[in-house]
Amino acid sequence: MITAVLVDDHPVVVAGVRAWCALADPPIEVVDAGPSVAVAWLDPGASADVVVLDLQLGASGVSWGDLKRLVDAGRQVVVYTMRDDRETALTCLDIGAFTWVTKAEGESHLVAAIRAAAHNEAYTPPALSGALGTDTNPNRPKLSDQEINVLLSWFQCESKELVAAELNIKVSTVNSYLARVRGKYASVGREAPTKAALVARAIQDGLVTVDEL
Amino acid sequence: MTGRTEQHLLRTGVRYALGVRTAVAGASSIAALFLVPAREPAVLVAVVLGLNAWNAWFAYRFPRGGRLVPADIAVMCAVCLSQPWTTPAATSAEGTVLWMLAGVAMTVMTYAWLLPPRTYVVATVLLVTAQLAGYAIAAPDRWLSGAPFQLWIVVEAGLSWMLYRMLRRGARNADSLVAQRESARRTAAIADARRSDEREYLAALHDTASATLLMVGNGAVGGRRELAAQASRDLDVISGRIGTASGEVDLVATLREAAAHTPLTVRWQLPERLSVPAVEAAALANGTREALTNVVRHAHVDEASVSLSHNGNHVTVRITDDGVGFDPASLNGDRYGVTRSLVQRMERIGGHAEVISRPGAGTTVTLTCDLTAPEPPSEDAEMIGANLMGRMRWAAVAINLVILLGLDLPKLIANWNVYPSPWTQVLFMAALIAITLVVAWRRTLGRWTWVLAGAVLAISIAAPAAMPAELWHTSAHWSFREAAWTLVVVGIEWRLAALATVLVVQHAVTLVHIGLSDLDGAALPGVVNATVMVLSYQLAVGMIAALMRPIAASAAQAAHEQERLRTADAVSEQLSQDRRDRYAELGRTAAPLLAGLASGDLDPADPAVRRSCATEAARMRRLFAEDSTAPDPLLHELRACIESVEGRGLTVAFAERGDRPAVPERDARTLAEPIVAALATAVSKARVTVVGAGGQVTVSVVADGPDGDLMHVKSSWRGES
Repeated sequence: MITAVLVDDHPVVVAGVRAWCALADPPIEVVDAGPSVAVAWLDPGASADVVVLDLQLGASGVSWGDLKRLVDAGRQVVVYTMRDDRETALTCLDIGAFTWVTKAEGESHLVAAIRAAAHNEAYTPPALSGALGTDTNPNRPKLSDQEINVLLSWFQCESKELVAAELNIKVSTVNSYLARVRGKYASVGREAPTKAALVARAIQDGLVTVDEL
Repeated sequence: MTGRTEQHLLRTGVRYALGVRTAVAGASSIAALFLVPAREPAVLVAVVLGLNAWNAWFAYRFPRGGRLVPADIAVMCAVCLSQPWTTPAATSAEGTVLWMLAGVAMTVMTYAWLLPPRTYVVATVLLVTAQLAGYAIAAPDRWLSGAPFQLWIVVEAGLSWMLYRMLRRGARNADSLVAQRESARRTAAIADARRSDEREYLAALHDTASATLLMVGNGAVGGRRELAAQASRDLDVISGRIGTASGEVDLVATLREAAAHTPLTVRWQLPERLSVPAVEAAALANGTREALTNVVRHAHVDEASVSLSHNGNHVTVRITDDGVGFDPASLNGDRYGVTRSLVQRMERIGGHAEVISRPGAGTTVTLTCDLTAPEPPSEDAEMIGANLMGRMRWAAVAINLVILLGLDLPKLIANWNVYPSPWTQVLFMAALIAITLVVAWRRTLGRWTWVLAGAVLAISIAAPAAMPAELWHTSAHWSFREAAWTLVVVGIEWRLAALATVLVVQHAVTLVHIGLSDLDGAALPGVVNATVMVLSYQLAVGMIAALMRPIAASAAQAAHEQERLRTADAVSEQLSQDRRDRYAELGRTAAPLLAGLASGDLDPADPAVRRSCATEAARMRRLFAEDSTAPDPLLHELRACIESVEGRGLTVAFAERGDRPAVPERDARTLAEPIVAALATAVSKARVTVVGAGGQVTVSVVADGPDGDLMHVKSSWRGES
């Protein structure tokens, strides 16, 4: 069974995520949860497959340092945040977060992201997809027009069927476009073990070639 | 309204005018007691004592108001008319009445600062006439020889008036520039405060009410008890209980109010009351509340202590708990919730926040702020000073040119035939004029002023040296005493002590050079008195110049304090208004929902409650996307049409990405039209997005249609570039 540890200081969020994970099929075990990142470093959280990390935005400022330390320790971190803006998303990816899910995206995306993280598969929810599609950073990886179309369409529709119909491609193609972009992003910027793993995975799955990176 | 600089200039001007007049008239009249062989010595003593007593009284009373001016003019006229008794039998025009001339001239000149223009003219005419009349009675055979002196007093009155007007205009000019700067600074401060207040409020909403509603909307049903407790805390945040009021508030009451809703037992150590400006009180109270919230969240204890102390202008609030604490060095300092926002909040009001903690040893948060007015922006004092000094320099230049061309040049021309070489004298005068003009054109001369001053000194020695010694005590010696005016122009920016020293040296050197010892005893007091009189005018002008920088500094300080108060008022008024507006917006819909969740009246599992929560959470998220201080027509338009459909139970999610050009209002409406149409047919859910990329804005809506299918509508706009 996949195990996760949850770092969030909002009691209702903690209760909600625990419930979603318990109801997931197959269920995900939340081994510990708490308002401080210490739960991810101490047992039983220290051995959880996935860390779901609230960036503790707002009054406290962004806890980038916590994210960095977890990533550098090789943890699979799913950032789960109230914040819904491009810069936060891109910074999280650059640091090496596995993926970035906004709290507005709810149950299905969070559960899917945890599961993907546990299996080291790319997962790009719509909010993150919009951030990648509108990235104007000069160091961004080179994306094709079609890749950008898929990213933006996924952000707008929140439905892969709709994206596939609109762009006249198959749903599986939509997925491979998203995975490919994620692989490209993992290959730029700051080095982190999780990013290397994502790149290796993308090459292994034939999504990107070494030349494209 | 009179600005701060003008006020300070006028107040200082009146004080110094009264002081100078009293001092000069006092010194010259008391000297006369010993030097003038009056026809009626007893009358002279009575007049001198009476005049000084009156001057002292006048200097004391005038600033406190009252109709003293007519009496003052009458006293001065009486002194003038006393000449038949107070002058020697053999009065010489340039001789012993000079003490009276000095006193009257200084009185007339200082009137420029004391009287309104019309009264000033009348007073000048009356005093000059009285003095001429007194002289005519005392010396009927040669009374006309006194006329040039009286005429010169009129000219001096005009120069004094000009100096006064120029400085006043400079002060006004500086005031209006300060006002412009203040207005710009205030606008920036308000915008800054609004943005940060909104950010803080939204950040608080983000972490509390919005997350709660979102989770309920997303169907998180676990933990009813936590939900009720959280919803009740969220309600406090939404209502933003600590509003900012204007003026001063009682910090003690504000702190108690800030802690009213914490579940902690708070041990207080407070004074009876402490009044502080509202801005500081709000920052300290909000900081205290955040610190207490943090104790609740992280410290694992149920009590905390809050102490308030003040030491002079330093106010310190300390929040202490005996909880688990943390190690700021090993973990991320930000982890302890509020550290960063506390520090930023306190820094904004010029204060300081410090969080001290050790694992197992509790946490102490110390908030301090300084209530003394900070230093005014130095560029203001400099700008005011430069304005006043600029006018001062021009006034000095004008005075010197009038003296050189109006007083000295006629002397030179009248004596043209007696000079061995008249063109040499013309050359010296031309040099003085040239030096004056150099100072007028070149503002920053720095050390060159000392070179110019040396040149002036050399000319004032060379000019008499180029004429026979018997001319030295006649009007042919045109530069006698008056050359020092050029020194005043050159040294206008010097410190007063430096200028005074140079002036005294110049006068002393000239006197020694032309052989004071050659004069007979009767002429000596006249020469000394005349020199002291001219020197006192020159020093007076130098003193006025030296006052300009202090006036600029104090005016800038006063203006800054006033600005601080006005800005604080404007900021708090604007923030209160913003908070009322925001509450009006959220209070209607979000507050009843949270209240229902808190009391348990609303069941979070009920689909209708979930939908309402989802709608409300979506509404808050749109609020986060919109910056109310920089209205965006497109977001405004979209928000309006989303809100119009929310009424019928449709939940609309909103998200935006990318940098987009500003869409004009008309185009925003066109852009939103297809969205409105699509939303109109949506059944239960819709997602509206705005994407900006490559100068293009795309608005899109995905909604469930009546037949159960998803429909997707997009519209794009490209700015003309």
